[in-house]
Parts: sequence; C-alpha cells; structure tokens
Amino acid sequence: MSLDDPTHTLTGDDVAYPVDVERPHETSEDYSLTELLAVTAAHEIENGELAFIGVGMSLISGVLAKHTRAPDCQLVTESGYVGSRPPGVVQSISDTVLGVDALVATNQLQIFTDNQRGLFDVGIIGAGQIDRYGNTNSTVVTGDEATYERPKVRLPGSGGSNDIMTSCGRSIVMMRQQRRAFTTELDYTTAPGHLDGGDDREEAGFRGDGPSAVITDMAVFRFDDDGEMVLASTHPGVAVADVRDAVQWDLRVADDVVTTPEPTRGEIAVLRTIDPTDTVLRGSDYVYEVEFEEWSERVMEHWKTLQDE
Amino acid sequence: MSRTDGDGRAHGGERALESLSSRAPSGTPTGARSRRDKTTDLETAIDEYVPDGASVAFGGMGGRDPEAAAREIVRQGKSGLTVLDDARTTLFDVMVGAGCVDQYTGSWVGTSLISQGFNVRRAVEESIPHHLEMRDVSNFGSSLMFLAGAMDVPFVPTRSMVETDIPAHNPDLEVVADPLGSGDDLALVPAAQPDVAIIHVQRADALGNAQIWGNVVNDHLKARAAEHVVVTCEEVVPTETIQRHPEVTRIPFYAVDAVVEVPFGSHPWHCYGYYYADLPFYREYGLQSKEREGFLEWADEWVLPHDEYLEKIGADRLATLEEMESKINEVPGVRGDDATAPEGSR
Repeated sequence: MSLDDPTHTLTGDDVAYPVDVERPHETSEDYSLTELLAVTAAHEIENGELAFIGVGMSLISGVLAKHTRAPDCQLVTESGYVGSRPPGVVQSISDTVLGVDALVATNQLQIFTDNQRGLFDVGIIGAGQIDRYGNTNSTVVTGDEATYERPKVRLPGSGGSNDIMTSCGRSIVMMRQQRRAFTTELDYTTAPGHLDGGDDREEAGFRGDGPSAVITDMAVFRFDDDGEMVLASTHPGVAVADVRDAVQWDLRVADDVVTTPEPTRGEIAVLRTIDPTDTVLRGSDYVYEVEFEEWSERVMEHWKTLQDE
Repeated sequence: MSRTDGDGRAHGGERALESLSSRAPSGTPTGARSRRDKTTDLETAIDEYVPDGASVAFGGMGGRDPEAAAREIVRQGKSGLTVLDDARTTLFDVMVGAGCVDQYTGSWVGTSLISQGFNVRRAVEESIPHHLEMRDVSNFGSSLMFLAGAMDVPFVPTRSMVETDIPAHNPDLEVVADPLGSGDDLALVPAAQPDVAIIHVQRADALGNAQIWGNVVNDHLKARAAEHVVVTCEEVVPTETIQRHPEVTRIPFYAVDAVVEVPFGSHPWHCYGYYYADLPFYREYGLQSKEREGFLEWADEWVLPHDEYLEKIGADRLATLEEMESKINEVPGVRGDDATAPEGSR
C-alpha cells in the first residue's frame, strides 16, 4: 500500500504489467468478449478507491485492476477481507488467496456495517435480470406462470448485491447481454437500482448513488438524470441495432455512442495469468478436464508470477 | 486450563459441572459449568446436537466450511432440518440432495464458479427429493439476524432490503417507518437463534476456545446466537497455545458445547493457513450432481466416516493442498511463533 498519489489511475505506457509479454501496451489481437467484459469492468475502478466486489467475473476484474491500472485500489470482500492482492482467481468468497497482502481480516457484519455507513466507493455485482432503471433480480425466474415458492429457475439469491446497490457509493452491474435478461418487468426485485427513476432513491433514503454503469459482453450502459439506462458504447464489431435487439424496451442511445476501447496485450496476459485454468474466462473446457496434479502445479506456478511482482 | 482454573472469576469454583446444556436462562452463571473437557468424536457430537427437525447454522462461507460435519449429518440420515444461515455452498447442496433439509433462511445458495447448486434447484423447482422452502435475506440481513440472536433482542434494523421484493416474500421480515421520526423506512431483521451452530476452525482447546485465522464471516455471531455449539477443528491444542494469541479466539469456551478434532474438516474447501481448496474435487461434484442419479452415486461413494473419506482422497493429494496453502498464507506454529518450532499434532 503506497502513499504516493493514490488517486491517479495509471494509463497507457504508465501501466506496469507483471507478466512477461511482448509489446504489452499495444492493442490485443486475440481477446474474447468475456475478456473484454472483464477488462472494461476493471476500468471502472479508479486507483485508491475502495472497491467492494463479489465472486466470479466481478472479482477477476477487481484483481486485474489491482495488478494493472489501479495498484492502490483496495479490494473489499464480504466475507471479511480488505486490501487483498490475490495472485490468482478467487473461487469463492472466503478463498484463502484473499488473505494475500490483506490489510484487514474481519467479519461479514463489520464489512456490511462499513458499507451501510457509506465507506466504500464502488461495488461490482452480477445479476440474472435487469430493468431499464437498473433494478436487478438474482433470486428467481418465474415468468408469468411460476411463483417465488416454485420458480422456473431458482437463482443463487441476493448475496451482497442488495446491500451494495442500496448503500455503496456507486455500483457497477456485470451481465451477459440477453433479451430475456434485459426485461421490461423483473420477476423479482433483489437489488434496488434507480427504482422507478427520478428522485426515487433519494426519497427512499438510500445512501449510495445506485448503479452508474452496466457492462455486458456487447456494450456499456450509463444512466441519465432520470435514472434510465443509456447505451454509451458498443464493443468492437457490435452494432447499436444488435444491442437494441437484445433489450426488451425502447433503449435510449447516447448521441455520441462510441466503440469500447480494446484491451491491451498486457491486460489480456494478466487476465490469463490470474485464471490459468479458465475457471472464470471459459475460453475452453480446460477447467472441466484438468487432472488434480496438473491443476495444482499450474495454479502454484501462476501464483508465483503475480506474487513476485 | 490450569492458569484460569480457580482464578477468582465471578462464578469460579463452587458450582458443580452441569450437563451438556450451555445455554441456561439469563442470569444463570455459565463460567464454571462451561469449564470442562468438551472433546468428543464427530459421530457422537452430530448424534447428540443435531436431532431431526433441528434448526442449524454452519460456519465458514466457501472456505472453512464444516463439510465433514455436514457429511456426517447426511450419513446419520437426519431429516426435517431448518438451515438458518448466510451463503451456503456444497455442504448445503449435499444435505438438500440427501433430503435432510426442509427449509432455508439465508442469503445465497450455489456451489462454486464452475457448477450450480443442482440439488437446491431440483428441490425448489421440482420438489426432488422434496420441496425446499426458501426465505431470502441479503448478506447484511444474514449477519444481522445472528447479531439480533446473539444480543437476544427480537430484531435489528437496517437500510438494506427496503424497496425490494425480499421482505415481500419473506414473512419474517418487516419494513417500518423509523419510530424515532427520521422519516426513513427500515427493514427489521428478526433474531435467529438456531438450535445448534456447527463451526469449523483451525484450532481449539478442549474447553472450546476456538481460534479462527483469516476471515471470520459470521461465525462469532452464530456461536453466540445458537442454543448449542459444536466446534470442529483442524487441531485440538493446549490452552497455552490459545493464550499465545488470544486476539484470534473468536469463539469463547462459554459458548461451546462440544469440540471435535477433524483434520481436513473443510475439504473440498479451503482452511486458511492449513490447506487450499480442491477445485477438481468439487468440479466433479458439480458434474455428477447435475443429474439426480449422478448425485446419488456421488453420495454413495463419498458420504463416509471422515477417516475413510480422507483415506479415499489420498494422503498425497491432501499434502499437495497443504503445500498450495503454504505458498500463500501461514499461521504461527502450535508450540510458539519461532519458525523452527515443530508443528502440532499433524
């Protein structure tokens, strides 16, 4: 933890990549949309920020930020760690890699008390469904027929997403872009976005500002003053019309919609070093096939790369 | 516990040791009653403290989970359990698939990044093997229900969960306007006081002073909220070892009923400072449990007395998991902080 200008997020040639890769600052030529999603979410974390992150895609983005553009961001995880610098993929919320370089090892009550007090800057969550105001569902898919008690699909549940979206400074939602997920009507509201828009959050007494961005494998959305989602950028090769087709409502599109910046070779190399067994990135079936011995050797070898940095 | 025996504590000395109940009506001294050797074996502890129909909370959270204790619950064929908890992974999915659980109150269910909680899904969606009733709370809600239970007050308020469907579908939660007049709505989270909390830790002494290295999740609260507490641990250590690092005694002896030494008691998950998670093992669980038939075969193969389970995993594999963890975290030696001191009973 350095005391040097922690608010300055590194960009371009200033980023020091902890991996051995040629021309790390140049644009990557072979990245997947999942990798682009992870990198784009990592760019939402500024250096020095306290970033409250859940397991899976959001944590790999946090770990990438910590090892690249935002070395002085502090990762916060709900099971009790603050300040971790995990040398590899975080498989679960009490993964012991979160113990590496942690500043704090405490309990869940304390972490969420600090969150409700407004001490954390940015939270990243996932969800199964989202509506135009950024309210999310990660509890049940019922459609018109099924019920909460006997749903069509039982999803994992809130986890920390409700608490983060209620009280964290701002929130980022990471999702797969699917028409059935970007819905006009949630089957169940797990976490509050901008509610019905306007001043609703303020009237509800929420301390956090709610969702500020939604990042998918097709696009990045921001929110306007009404609290409604606006298409801000599309990923390379994705047209605005493609995104409209993957949203159920009449999507607002920014006047100056841009193309999402492509990742650098260094960022992709770091991502693949964090996740050598494709546990999160899923470019292959490797994680479903690798034998125990090979898995353990590979994980330890990759940990070493990021621990030695 | 030689140093603290007869040290003039408020309730020391006079009272005879009473039976296994750790919780008596408020105002009843627990100090003397709780100063006894609580070590037992896993089969006895589960048999004694987890009757059919009990409400149970488990420690850890995708790390330091009491997996061996949950397999023992399945092995003993317990039924009608209510699980009052936070986020639950494989141990919950196994118990649900085996038909042990009727109801769950908590914040998240699944298994890991690379598989879903297929048994939980089958139970909730299709009532296989029977219906599982779900009562959702948020993660903060789960902490607060144990805080309220530990404080022995009916509820604790929070800003979380208001303006969402969580209180609408969980009849235990109530949203009220602040009675003190701030104008804010608050969700009241009712106290959870499970019949038993089962918590796996790195080290405990025979009296039940339980030390947790690394993160604590909600375990300090669950232990105090529950009527009874079973601590399973990697190592039972002398009280002198506990006294060397009292700051990590997250669960005190006076909250504990039983202490069981269960090495690798969290496998296939992690135990901070002891071993890393066995991802290929729970990957196989995820793949097999995708279909009901596959799960039943898995349970036949792996729901075993713990020593047989470890033998089946294999000493080499367990040693590799220990080696992995040693690359990232360490805890002080059992016999002192001197790096050259020999490790404990393992």
